[in-house]
Amino acid sequence: MAEIKQSSTIRKILTLPGTRAFAALALVFLLGVIFNADGAFYKWGTHRDMFRQVSVYGILACGMTLVIITAGIDLSVGSILGFTAVFFSLTSIHWRWTAWLAIPLCLLAGSVCGGVSGGLIARFKIQPFISTLAMMVFARGLAKYISGGQKISTAMQTADGSYTYVELPSIFNAINSKIFNNNIAVVTIIFLVCLLLCWVLLARLRWGRYLYAIGGNEEAARLSGVPVARMKILAYLLCGFFSAVAGICQAAQEYQGDPEAGVSYELSAIAIVVIGGTSLMGGKGGIGLTLLGALTIGYLEKILSINAVGEASRLMLTGFIIVSAVLFQKSKR
Amino acid sequence: MGKKYVPFVVLLLISVFLFSGCGKKENTPTPENTPPTENPASGKTESKWTIGMSQCNLGEPWRGQMNEDVRRAAEAYPELKVIFKDAQNDTLKQRAQMEEFISADVDLIIISPKEAAPLTPVVAQAYEAGIPVLVLDRRVLGDQYTCFIGADNKQIGENAGKWIVEKLGGKGKVVELKGLMTSTPGQDRHTGFRKAIEGSQIEIIFEADMKWLEPEARKEMESALARFDQIDLVYAHNDPGAHGAYLAAQAAGREKDIMFVGIDGLAQEGQVYVQQGILNASFEYPTGGKEAIETALKILNGQTVEKEITLPSRTFTK
Repeated sequence: MAEIKQSSTIRKILTLPGTRAFAALALVFLLGVIFNADGAFYKWGTHRDMFRQVSVYGILACGMTLVIITAGIDLSVGSILGFTAVFFSLTSIHWRWTAWLAIPLCLLAGSVCGGVSGGLIARFKIQPFISTLAMMVFARGLAKYISGGQKISTAMQTADGSYTYVELPSIFNAINSKIFNNNIAVVTIIFLVCLLLCWVLLARLRWGRYLYAIGGNEEAARLSGVPVARMKILAYLLCGFFSAVAGICQAAQEYQGDPEAGVSYELSAIAIVVIGGTSLMGGKGGIGLTLLGALTIGYLEKILSINAVGEASRLMLTGFIIVSAVLFQKSKR
Repeated sequence: MGKKYVPFVVLLLISVFLFSGCGKKENTPTPENTPPTENPASGKTESKWTIGMSQCNLGEPWRGQMNEDVRRAAEAYPELKVIFKDAQNDTLKQRAQMEEFISADVDLIIISPKEAAPLTPVVAQAYEAGIPVLVLDRRVLGDQYTCFIGADNKQIGENAGKWIVEKLGGKGKVVELKGLMTSTPGQDRHTGFRKAIEGSQIEIIFEADMKWLEPEARKEMESALARFDQIDLVYAHNDPGAHGAYLAAQAAGREKDIMFVGIDGLAQEGQVYVQQGILNASFEYPTGGKEAIETALKILNGQTVEKEITLPSRTFTK
C-alpha cells in the first residue's frame, strides 16, 4: 500500500514537467508545419526516418536518464557505443559467431564498461565526470585496439594486403530493416523497448525509487537504508548496457563497425535528457520526458535537414532552439 | 575520504592514456597474421637508415591506410626502419614528435602535417639540421622542406564532375553531399566539381554538409529523398558519404534509379563498394605512402628529387 502511495507522488511530479516537455515538442513541430519543405514534412516517410535517426541517440538517452536521476553523468556512452559496434562487427562478421552469442557478449561487454565506471564512482568516490571521462578515453582506445584502427566491414584484409569479401550476417539486415508493412524501423522498436524497460524500472520497481532517492539527497537515502553504492553501480551498468544496445544498432545500420562511431553522441544524449526536463541536479525527471526530448531533438534535426539549412546556421539555430525550449519549460513553472 | 584515492585516480588516468595510445601505435600499421614490424626500442642493428613518420591523425581510415602503405613499401627494403608516431589530431603533439625525431637524429622524416602554419617552423628546424623532410598530403608554408608529395583535390573534384556530366549526358538532377566545408579537401572537391559541371544542364537540387560522416550522409540523403521524387545522381565528397546515401536510397527502395559517386577509392572502402555495385564510381585520393618510401630511398641514396610530386588519381568504375 505504501508503495502505491509513493509511486503516485512520483507520477504527480512526472506529469507536470511532461506537459511542458510536450509543449516544447509542439513548438518544434509547428516549425515543421511552417517550414514544410514543399510538403516533405507531411510525408509519413519523413517521420518514420526521423524516428529511425533518433533511435540510437534515444537508446543512449535511456541509460543517461537513469544516471542523471542519481545526480550523475556518463560521458562514456559514445565511446562504449563505438567499442561495442566494433566488437559486434568483429565477432559476427569476421569471426562468424551466431547472433545469439555475439549480441549477449556485446551487451555484457558494454555492461562491464559501465559497471567499472559505476564501481569507481560508488566504491572509490571518484567524481562521475572524471570516472566516465576516463572510461570514454579508455573505451575509444579499446575500440581502436581491437579493430586495428580500421572499420570492420565485410571486406577482410588478408596477410598480403589484398581483400576478400564475406557475406553480411543476416542479423545486420534484420536490425536495419523496417517492419509492419515498412512503416517502422526495427531500431525504433528497440528504442521503444528500452524506454519501456526504463519505465518499469523507474516507475514500478523499488530500485527505481532508490535511484530518485539517491539523486534527491544521497546522505538521506543512505541513512534510510538505501544501498547507495550498489544502486549507483547499477545505474552506470545499465547505462553501459544501453550503450551496447545502441552500438549494435549503429553497427547494423552502417553494415560495419567503425571505431570512430559515436564521437560526441554523449552530448546529444545529455541534450535529449535535459530538454525533456530531467534535472541535472538529480532526483527529478522520468523516462517519458526523455522520449519527448528525443522527439524534440529528432524533429528539430529533421526540419533543418529537409530544408537544407546550411551547416553554420544549423548549429546556431540548434543552440537557439535548445535554449528556447528549456526557457519555455521554465516560464510555466 | 576522497583524498586517499587521489594517487590511485592519477595512476589510473595515466595508465588509461598510455594504454589507449600505445594500442593505436602498435596495432594500426600491423594487420593480423603478419609478423610485427621491428620494435624501435629493440633497435635491430641491420637496418641502415631510420625514418621517422609523424601522422597527424590515425583516427581517419584514410590515414591508417597511408601508414599501412608506408609500412608495406618499407618492408621490401631491409635497410629501412620506420618509426611511426600518431599525433592524434593535435598540432602541439605533432610538433613534439618532430622535435623527438630531430633529437633522435633520424636519417629522414616523413610528416603528414595537421596544419600548415604552426608546423612550418619545426619542419624548417629539421630541414636546417640536415634531416631531409618529406611532407605528405597537406602542405607547410615556405620552402624549408625537401619534397612535397600530394594529390590535387580540385583536380579530383573536376574529374568527378566531368565523369558525371558525361554519364548523365549533360543534364540531370544531382544531390551533393559535401565534406566538412571548413576543411580544404571539402572546399576543393566542391569547387572542382562545380567548375566541371558549369555550362551543362546539371542541376544541384540539394546540397548538405555531411562532415565526412556516413550516418550524417544517410540522414541528409533521407531528407533529399523525402523532398524530391526524381534524383539522378549523388555526388559525395567521400566514399562513406556515398555509401550512406546508398543505404538511405535502399531503405526507400530507390537505389536502382540513382547513381552514386564517391571520392577516396580506398582498397577496403570505395573499391569494395564499386565492386559490389553500390557505387558507380570512386575517384581515388592516393595516400602517397608508397611514393614517399620510394622518394625517401632516392634521397638517402644521394639522388636529387623534385621539390613537388603530384600523385596521379585513378578512377574506379565497374
